[in-house]
Amino acid sequence: MASSANSNPVPKLYKSVIEDVINEVRELFLDEGVDEQVLLELKTLWENKLLQSKAVEGFHTEEQAALQAAAQQQQQQQQQVQVQQVQQVQHVTQQAQAQQVILPPQQQQAPQQQVIVQDPKILQHMNATGMSAAATAATLALPTGVTPYQQLITSQGQILQVVRAANGAQYIIQQPQQQILLQQQMQPGGVQAPVIQQVLAPLQGGIPQQAGVIIQPQQIVLASGNKVQGSTQVMQAMAQQQQQQPAQAAAAQVQQVQQLQQAQGAAAPQAQQQAQAQQPPMMLQVDGAGDTSSEEDEDEEEEYDEDEEEEKDKDGGEDGQVEEEPLNSGDDVSDEEDQELFDTENVVVCQYDKIHRSKNKWKFHLKDGIMNLNGKDYVFSKAIGDAEW
Amino acid sequence: MAYQLYRNTTLGNSLQESLDELIQTQQITPQLALQVLLQFDKAINTALANRVRNRVNFRGSLNTYRFCDNVWTFVLNDVEFREVTDLVKVDKVKIVACDGKSESTQNKSDKWSVTQTPQISVCL
Repeated sequence: MASSANSNPVPKLYKSVIEDVINEVRELFLDEGVDEQVLLELKTLWENKLLQSKAVEGFHTEEQAALQAAAQQQQQQQQQVQVQQVQQVQHVTQQAQAQQVILPPQQQQAPQQQVIVQDPKILQHMNATGMSAAATAATLALPTGVTPYQQLITSQGQILQVVRAANGAQYIIQQPQQQILLQQQMQPGGVQAPVIQQVLAPLQGGIPQQAGVIIQPQQIVLASGNKVQGSTQVMQAMAQQQQQQPAQAAAAQVQQVQQLQQAQGAAAPQAQQQAQAQQPPMMLQVDGAGDTSSEEDEDEEEEYDEDEEEEKDKDGGEDGQVEEEPLNSGDDVSDEEDQELFDTENVVVCQYDKIHRSKNKWKFHLKDGIMNLNGKDYVFSKAIGDAEW
Repeated sequence: MAYQLYRNTTLGNSLQESLDELIQTQQITPQLALQVLLQFDKAINTALANRVRNRVNFRGSLNTYRFCDNVWTFVLNDVEFREVTDLVKVDKVKIVACDGKSESTQNKSDKWSVTQTPQISVCL
């Protein structure tokens, strides 16, 4: 396989390894009596962690490729969707559901078999849970592979539906009861941060780490044509954003969501940023030496300072290094522990063919390696290097 | 048995984390997770040997070197990694390399494998 100058072999390699491993362990899982669903969950978790690490560029799973294809087709048939949704709205719930059966085959053509198989289940589930027409329309308009998972009622009385997509990400469909709130929040892009706050603040412990928010405005129910257009456009725009521009707004939103959940109680992003900003200085404080750098929150650091000062006084004063340096730090040979606390340790794991040394000139002949440099992954079949010691 | 060397990579770590999550929710047993990792070792070793065909050159200064249990560990500074397409520079890099000539039956799990094997290993 000749590789062009711009192709990156890493995503394909990783994907093929994932597929191989999953297929090979399927038997093991069955022997242990573990459900296939768990195997799929393993694959999903694995792929999502790879995506989150951003170590691989252009890494899209098959399901996400299908999601993108579905989103594009939804865009192409946007007008049909709007017309059909308007028709749904004007009918009673039962009749609306009957029309929804017609929807999927027209909307999604590429992953046809998957959609048709899943839609009856979705509809059955919707019947069981008694979702409104707007919610069912929204759920059907979601990317393929999404099934309603849970219904949660927040303290504010809003009905949230936690929907789980095939790729493991969970979406929350919000059905707020106040239309005015949503009108303010209908602008795509910069809006979803406050929405996420409102949605997730009362739901801290209940949602796993990966969650996106899809706003389902109740304007659809009002049966006005203009508003329906706006809402579907926003939904599709948001769906496209979250799918086609993962590195941009959606990733920022997901990161905000994750930060919200990790902060456990901090509602405002500012508090979270402060919480995160507070953490690095505390992590760097290895020796407890008195540092004059940041004086924002110094509770624990002040304790270190006091201890250090006491020790210094007992020793009768040091070399004249009054300020930050730990005792006799000039004599230390290796001071690299602090550096290792940083984000990326650039690592190469490989096998060696030959290691050669001549005086202080070293030559490395390596093979079959995976490198993580500056946060990015690379692979090689052969590597030759020179270094001087 | 393939080298367990590649478990400490992005791919390997994400797999281990995912398996840990499943263990915590008791959806799989630790034994099963271990089997998955062993399968991963085989798959990644095979994939690297067969599906990758590119070359990299690098140059830098050697800070430390260690050879223990047939595993070389280097720390280099101010290194440039050069491929045909692009160039990557790093201040510090750690290279862990297992013996590529003979895949011995010993498992090189982590970097610091201090295992004392009772029998004498024969290098062919």
